Amino acid sequence: MATTLSRSVDSRPTRTQRGVLQRLRISLWMPPLVLISVLALAWQVTAVEMPFLLPPLQDVAATLATELPYYLQNAGITLFESVAGLAIGFVVAFGLAVLTSESAVIRRAVMPVAVVLNVTPLVAIAPALVVAFGFGAAPKLIITALICFFPILINTATGLRSVPQQVLQVYRTVRASRLELLLHVRVPSALPYVFAALRIVFPLSIIGAVVAELSAAGATGGLGTVISTASSMNQLAVVYASIFILALLGVALLGVITLVERRVLRWHRGTTD
Amino acid sequence: MNAGVRLHGVRKTYGDGTVALDDVSLSVPPGRFVSLIGPSGCGKSTLLRLVAGLEAQDHGQVSVHGVSPEDACAAKLIGLVPQTPALLPWLDVLRNVTLPRRMNRRAAARRAEIAGVEARAVLQEPDMLSLLARAGLAEAVHRLPSQLSGGMQQRVAIVRAFGLRPDVLLMDEPFSALDEFTREALQEQLLDLWDELQTTVLFVTHSIQEAVRLSDTVVVMAPDPGRVVDVIDIDLPRPRGQQLLEQGRFHAYEDRVRNALRGAWRVPGAA
Ligand SMILES: Nc1ncnc2c1ncn2[C@@H]1O[C@H](COP(=O)(O)OP(=O)(O)OP(=O)(O)O)[C@@H](O)[C@H]1O
Ligand SMILES: [Mg+2]
Repeated sequence: MATTLSRSVDSRPTRTQRGVLQRLRISLWMPPLVLISVLALAWQVTAVEMPFLLPPLQDVAATLATELPYYLQNAGITLFESVAGLAIGFVVAFGLAVLTSESAVIRRAVMPVAVVLNVTPLVAIAPALVVAFGFGAAPKLIITALICFFPILINTATGLRSVPQQVLQVYRTVRASRLELLLHVRVPSALPYVFAALRIVFPLSIIGAVVAELSAAGATGGLGTVISTASSMNQLAVVYASIFILALLGVALLGVITLVERRVLRWHRGTTD
Repeated sequence: MNAGVRLHGVRKTYGDGTVALDDVSLSVPPGRFVSLIGPSGCGKSTLLRLVAGLEAQDHGQVSVHGVSPEDACAAKLIGLVPQTPALLPWLDVLRNVTLPRRMNRRAAARRAEIAGVEARAVLQEPDMLSLLARAGLAEAVHRLPSQLSGGMQQRVAIVRAFGLRPDVLLMDEPFSALDEFTREALQEQLLDLWDELQTTVLFVTHSIQEAVRLSDTVVVMAPDPGRVVDVIDIDLPRPRGQQLLEQGRFHAYEDRVRNALRGAWRVPGAA
């Protein structure tokens, strides 16, 4: 859109130059690359000066390269815990959101409890859950589900009630049933809100799984377990290698959800852009 | 006669003591085109909501084809065109106009139980397509609402209501957000469709010209409390093309409505 405007401005690059620049997308990857380089340099300087603070980057790369299967196996465990926990939290929260949007009584009952749950530092429950459920997958799934629960509940409930009054009136005059309204009008209206919640909740689910693993270091493994074991043995490179993989996991999950959202909410992009 | 729309001694108040409608009686024979006009807050939308069964009156009776608004809605006798198009943004035009027909499928059986209402076959998809074409939407059938102009969206909303083959069509200022040219074109298309499907229409408007042009009868209302102050029959030939708008007898009707409205502005009790 700016191409036609900028043609008259002499100091701007010519159109062909602009074309090349745009194709390379330099403006897209240059700034983060510069920042990352600066950070990496600062990291290396720190690692050399104070080796107890940070491990040299080549050590991190070395452990990743030599023990990749070990990291991938543990990443798989953490990924499973976070996605399964999120799925459980999603089903419960979505179901409750539907119930609260259909019944004022249920809404009044559920919402205060949900808000209390939200302000409770759920991470602090993790040790108690380990005591209660042992070192298996259960406490990890519960923590993750709890952390994901509230954003999904609130967003979905808001979305289900976001249908404009006049739309509801049109479908009420043909006596659409509650189920028909829910399936054809309310749930589709809520989808943009649901995806907004998912974008918040996917990174949270990894945090939930890792925190649960940290406080229940043991049998089932996972990157959280790797981190807590390695840090007790002063293996900083292993700790940061695990953190690096966790970050990659988060980015990958966010990428997946963005792709799905693009497909499902094609209609919505036109209305907001 | 119990057909058409009837209100008798209807009163509606809201929680804060606003008397939206006070002792309103109105009888609309089937197939008539009736406009409601009056200052803001005189209860026009409230009246439509009562007829649509979206709210209940405090006193009096409202009936549609001799049955309550609730039963009329259950039999899908009523189509509503709200002030905004109220389309579903994720459905294309065709799906938007067909969705209300696919809901409440027992309506046909209920319809048969109401005396004086002919059993009508539900419009099939080809009929909807031709209806869309008649409204100038043939090209837009598979577009999303966000890809349409305001006037096109409003036409979709009208086709959606007509597609139900309603016995009563309720329209709340459907053209108020449109420019003058679009508005006149849509008036023409509305009359065209109405002529073919012969439904009873209650049409809320703020435009005197629009009311006179479209209607068999103009109902003038006044606020505080909301009431009917005048009922003016428009005895002009149809079809009412552009040239009619310049004729003296058209202006005479406009003046009558304007005078009635002027009276409506005068608040009772004020000096
Ligand atoms: N849900 C409501 N709660 C409280 N008061 C209401 C409600 N709906 C309408 N009213 C009041 O009832 C009166 C009539 O409202 P209504 O919307 O029927 O007027 P209207 O003639 O349609 O006005 P307009 O031309 O501005 O649309 C107004 O005084 C309004 O404030
Ligand atoms: Mg109104």
